[in-house]
Amino acid sequence: MIYFDNSATTKPLAEVCDLVYQDLRDDELWGNPGSLHELGTSAYKAYIKAKEDIASCLSVREQELVFTSCATESANTAIRGYLSRNRRSGRTVITTKTEHRATLSVLEKLSSEGINVIYIDVDKNGCPDLDMLKNSITGDTALLCFTHVNNETGAILPLKEIIDIRDGSNRNTAVYVDFVQSAGKLKIDLKASGVDLASFSAHKFHGLKGSGLLYVKNGIRIDPFILGGGQQNGQRSGTESLYLLRSTALALKMSQEDIEGHLKNVSDINSYLRTELKKRGATILSPEDALPYVLNVSFDGFESETMLHCLERYNIYVSTISACSSKTKKISYVLEAMGVDRKLATNAVRLSFSRFNTMEEAKIFIEKIDEIYQLFALR
Amino acid sequence: MSNNVILARMGEVTLKGLNRGNFESKLKNNLKYRLRSFGKLDIYQSQSRIWIEPCQGEENPYFQNEETATEILNAVVQVFGIVSASLARKFEGGIDEIRQNAVEYMKEYLKINPDHHTFKVESKRGNKQFPMTSPEISNEIGGYLLENFDCLKVDVNKPDFIFNVEVRDFCYVYAGKVMGHRGLPVGTAGKGMLLLSGGIDSPVAGYMMASRGMMLEAVYFHSFPYTSDRAKDKVIDLAKIVSRFSGRMKLHVVNFTQIQLDMYKNSRQDMLTVTMRRVMLQIAEKLAQRNGCGCLITGESLGQVASQTLEAIQFTNEVVDLPIFRPLIGLDKEATCEISRKIGAFETSILPYEDCCTVFVAKHPKTHPNRDDIIEAEQNLDIAKMVEDGVNGIETIII
Repeated sequence: MIYFDNSATTKPLAEVCDLVYQDLRDDELWGNPGSLHELGTSAYKAYIKAKEDIASCLSVREQELVFTSCATESANTAIRGYLSRNRRSGRTVITTKTEHRATLSVLEKLSSEGINVIYIDVDKNGCPDLDMLKNSITGDTALLCFTHVNNETGAILPLKEIIDIRDGSNRNTAVYVDFVQSAGKLKIDLKASGVDLASFSAHKFHGLKGSGLLYVKNGIRIDPFILGGGQQNGQRSGTESLYLLRSTALALKMSQEDIEGHLKNVSDINSYLRTELKKRGATILSPEDALPYVLNVSFDGFESETMLHCLERYNIYVSTISACSSKTKKISYVLEAMGVDRKLATNAVRLSFSRFNTMEEAKIFIEKIDEIYQLFALR
Repeated sequence: MSNNVILARMGEVTLKGLNRGNFESKLKNNLKYRLRSFGKLDIYQSQSRIWIEPCQGEENPYFQNEETATEILNAVVQVFGIVSASLARKFEGGIDEIRQNAVEYMKEYLKINPDHHTFKVESKRGNKQFPMTSPEISNEIGGYLLENFDCLKVDVNKPDFIFNVEVRDFCYVYAGKVMGHRGLPVGTAGKGMLLLSGGIDSPVAGYMMASRGMMLEAVYFHSFPYTSDRAKDKVIDLAKIVSRFSGRMKLHVVNFTQIQLDMYKNSRQDMLTVTMRRVMLQIAEKLAQRNGCGCLITGESLGQVASQTLEAIQFTNEVVDLPIFRPLIGLDKEATCEISRKIGAFETSILPYEDCCTVFVAKHPKTHPNRDDIIEAEQNLDIAKMVEDGVNGIETIII
């Protein structure tokens, strides 16, 4: 199997699985961290330790992290919670059309509830129009919502520039950033970044599904999304799942080991594939300077889903964003916002890598592409 | 005691003459097959009715609970040949027992039909030893129900429901009926090969032919990787839905990829659809003959798409000898969708995987082909080999 769909999800690390199995089987860590007896206390200590481990990977303080069920919950909590808690900071949100659905759906709902949502343009590389951003921020701008690395193209957000613009225009404007695709792949220093709210998902860095993180910078107040027993300082009620949090901490920690080396390795794979695919008439839709872990490519003569199924024949797994139905072809809204030609977008396939992918796999991939062109191309 | 018997009414079957016995026994067999997952049941006939009840002396948990009893009822009315069915209560005794059972039945009935307020009682007395006449029974039970249920009123002209009392060897009470799908028992009209695509039309066409008593087999043309395996799963699901009515069927999946690719590369683009239909029908006919089917069935509706114009149908029709039944030929899409919803296929049919890859469909297909078009389109194709390859490369799934 060659798995090039790591932006959808990643395989859990064996170490993570072992830890989970042990935590569930052992007699020490299954207690409720909220219980006052010894069993609860040891669970609580392990819980704080795991949070500290995560915090140190992200350069934040343990108290600034909220443990959620997924990044979508984190996005919902961050955006809704910030706007409802900070009514006086304004009623306007600025974002782009290329955000993840978790952000866009929340903003669509908020817009129907009276929040003013401004979508700034992105250029052909998926980069937000910074001049437009500068001109759009006013005293009424409560929140900016952006994605650090776009899940479809790998486009990297000019985060520093955006924070500078915010600082120069309205220091009361908070910044929410979706770090789902960059966590575990790029070194993230949240404290230095100037971001106020951020979301993460464990299963994108070889952790488990069902585990997300929300960063709320010290001093930023948000309303909780889930109410109940007041766990996690009232920010997210519900009994904490210790094994999930510990598995997330382990997965994140392991992803930081030789993070630069892995990036270099994936960059090599990425440039090899770019070169070889271009030779074969494919068009690369990811920007040149995108995160190499994502490569969006349009294959001439194959609709996205056909290529996906062709590759599936060889146990190679990739992803299509564009979906086609019998009558209408829907293309990816991200590619559409970037102004990608419709025909190219119809044939777009996303390859997404992890640190475990190898150059050998990339070479096999190219071999199979040649075979597929011979067998199934319609051109 | 709860409702313990289902009374099913036969329709067109009872109009048959000397053959009637064959139709009836087929119907009973079909009921037996359709109800096979509901425990041991006695299915017997008296006059124009079929009675379904737990085997004598045996407990049947499905009948003891209202919800599963209704499931049996709903399965019964899906069997072709049944016009309607009712859940009834069967007991022994005289007028006192009838009174008591009538009240108990009504309690259950009103729970399920809270908006029914007006009724009348109709009685039948098969057992002439019974001391009261039918009108007397009706009067007595009607009065007794009125006394017991404040919400009920009698309306002999347009009642919300009719409450029935029957006195035979046993006594029966029941109210209301669930309408069936009518038609003739499957297995009384031979077997046909249905071209099943995964869209809305073909499952409806299969259903309609089965309603005339026809057994079905189905053939599906699969073009992986141009159509996904989910499309195939969807066709299997649709075949299962049709088989609720038609009984067990075989689904033949033809591996059509290479054939379609050859056609794409060696034939005229605007004629692709008609050429493809011609090959499909020939493969279907071969499979039909091999499996004892006497006809082909398609979901074509005149003028709906390019391959369903009169000219296109003429040219696709001519390649086979077996008759092709097109039960939807004169229906518009809305009428077809209505039937599709009625048989519970619609939601599955509109799942998006069908024709996912429209790559093989020309932008401007020829809608009114002539003989020259056909000859030209096929001149570079080895049609006989395509048909042979198609027939040889099948996977057969028992639904």
